[in-house]
Amino acid sequence: MAFQEAFVEADGFRIRYMVAGTGTPLVHLHGAGGLRLTRAHELLSGHHRVYVFEMPGFGASAENTRSRSVIDLATTMAAALAQLGIESCDVMGTSFGARVVLWMAIRHPALVRAIVLEGPGAIRPDGHQPPSGTPQEIARLIFAHPERAPASPPLAPNIREQQSALVRRLRGPDRDPDLEARLRDLATPVLVVFGTLDRVMPPQMGRCYKMLLPNCHLVFTYDAGHEVSTDRPEAFADVVDDFLERHEAFVINRRGTLIDP
Amino acid sequence: MKVSYFETGRYVPPPDMPREWPVPSGAYDPDVGAAAFRGMVERVKFVEELGFDWVSVSEHHYSPRILTPSPIVSATWLAARTDKIKIAMLGPIVPVNNPIRIAEEMAMLDSLAPDRIVVGLLRGTTNEYLSYDLNPAEARERTDEGMELILKAWSEPQPFGWQGRHFQYRTVSIWPRPQGAHPPTYALGTSAEAGEFAARHHIGLGVSYGTFELMAKATQYYRERCAHYGWEPQPDDIIYRANMILGETDDAAEDALRRRDKQAPFPVRAGLRDALIGADISRNVAGERRPANVGGVLPISFCGGPDRIVDQLRQCREQIGAGFVDLSLQDPGTGDTDSMMRSLELFGRKVLPRIREF
Repeated sequence: MAFQEAFVEADGFRIRYMVAGTGTPLVHLHGAGGLRLTRAHELLSGHHRVYVFEMPGFGASAENTRSRSVIDLATTMAAALAQLGIESCDVMGTSFGARVVLWMAIRHPALVRAIVLEGPGAIRPDGHQPPSGTPQEIARLIFAHPERAPASPPLAPNIREQQSALVRRLRGPDRDPDLEARLRDLATPVLVVFGTLDRVMPPQMGRCYKMLLPNCHLVFTYDAGHEVSTDRPEAFADVVDDFLERHEAFVINRRGTLIDP
Repeated sequence: MKVSYFETGRYVPPPDMPREWPVPSGAYDPDVGAAAFRGMVERVKFVEELGFDWVSVSEHHYSPRILTPSPIVSATWLAARTDKIKIAMLGPIVPVNNPIRIAEEMAMLDSLAPDRIVVGLLRGTTNEYLSYDLNPAEARERTDEGMELILKAWSEPQPFGWQGRHFQYRTVSIWPRPQGAHPPTYALGTSAEAGEFAARHHIGLGVSYGTFELMAKATQYYRERCAHYGWEPQPDDIIYRANMILGETDDAAEDALRRRDKQAPFPVRAGLRDALIGADISRNVAGERRPANVGGVLPISFCGGPDRIVDQLRQCREQIGAGFVDLSLQDPGTGDTDSMMRSLELFGRKVLPRIREF
């Protein structure tokens, strides 16, 4: 399914997004590297209308000097969804995007039906640093299998620098007591997905979400790095689709083992 | 009548332990676990001294309520540390395990501890299917096929292939084989399928926790099917597993019943419980549909002082036809082992000698 580029005006920003598919809306907020379409998006668009947003200040959008925090970004993105007429949706956040997604759910509980966090960076180990280096070095950090990542033109250096500066400014403290206190009361179903080979965010951070969130499921994806959806897109889309359809009942296996009738 | 003591590991949970199944494994305290397993051996030696015929162990996962995920490991450990009591594995959960592995391990233990083991083949409760990712809709079929494959692996002297619905093997030829044809074996369950399977294969039937009236329906169905296959089961062919509250007096037992926690320890959360019940729709008693029990509190079937308990056991013997009762004298997961030990001793002194006659 081909993704179409579109723009929405919200909260004073002109926000780019890619959209495809039919079904219940699934909104994706990217990580520190910005919007990048993956095979997982394609797969998920089989059951959902998938909106892959580029948050203000990322990619070719104008420099974002107005957002002061991830809470501001969450407010902006919720306004963008309202502008698109989306009243209720599933929301997926990758790495840096996870904290934005969680604040969106905290501030707009009726808007967010369920949450998927991919290699989330909402709760980080002390002194954690975002990945840095050449595009090749970063690819080796975020993917377990860079050879599987679709070839895409490298970002222009000025865009990379602008994105990095924005992330450094907005990423906030490694542990945010205010956020974590609110997570304890967040009833929204949450799926946390970590790759077993994540070299950016230690997969053992997954247990923090389990301990804080009252309705949270943690899944480790074997042989995947930080961006699970690129390393193992089928496995990622499979568990995400199932979770979004059935929430906590997704732990009940529906697959058959019948060999011959 | 013969009696079996159901040993569950008896992990004593601290008050602040998370109460929901699955219980986070990070909450496991190795010292408390070690004490539970030491106590397991002590309790089994104790009931062996009291004259119990069997100790039973079971397969449960992801919770301290019953600390024995592997019945074969429990049974092997206990068989090596006791002298004469029989160890009944009631049972391995057939649909979530490799049937050949079950057949091999049971045969091996039967050889290591001749005439000491009893095998129950179990479909299992619905939440246990989550542990090994079994589709609940397939549990019945996989149990039936798995049980049949286990019996075949024990009995077929030539290497064979198995072209099943859910299991497929091109070569099966287990070593060691069981001592005799096979150890005493029971299909565990109240369903028409379990009764039919047990009758067709001339093995026993184990039923559990339901009222005498309801369990009698299951055992009656089993007897009818046995008659159909031309044989008559004996009392030793029927096991009834149940909870018992035994006090010095009827009043003391009634008091304990009133104090009993009305909530099951470590229940499955409500949304998941409902989804599991919805996914597991083939449960029945002798063909009558029954909803699955997912983490609900289990009833007390026997309650009273020794005299009343003897009467109730006699009634159980007559109504259900059970020659074996497999008893918990304290709810698993509650941790109060002192009162359980007192009850076991009382049972050994005041009840056991009197139920031998029927």
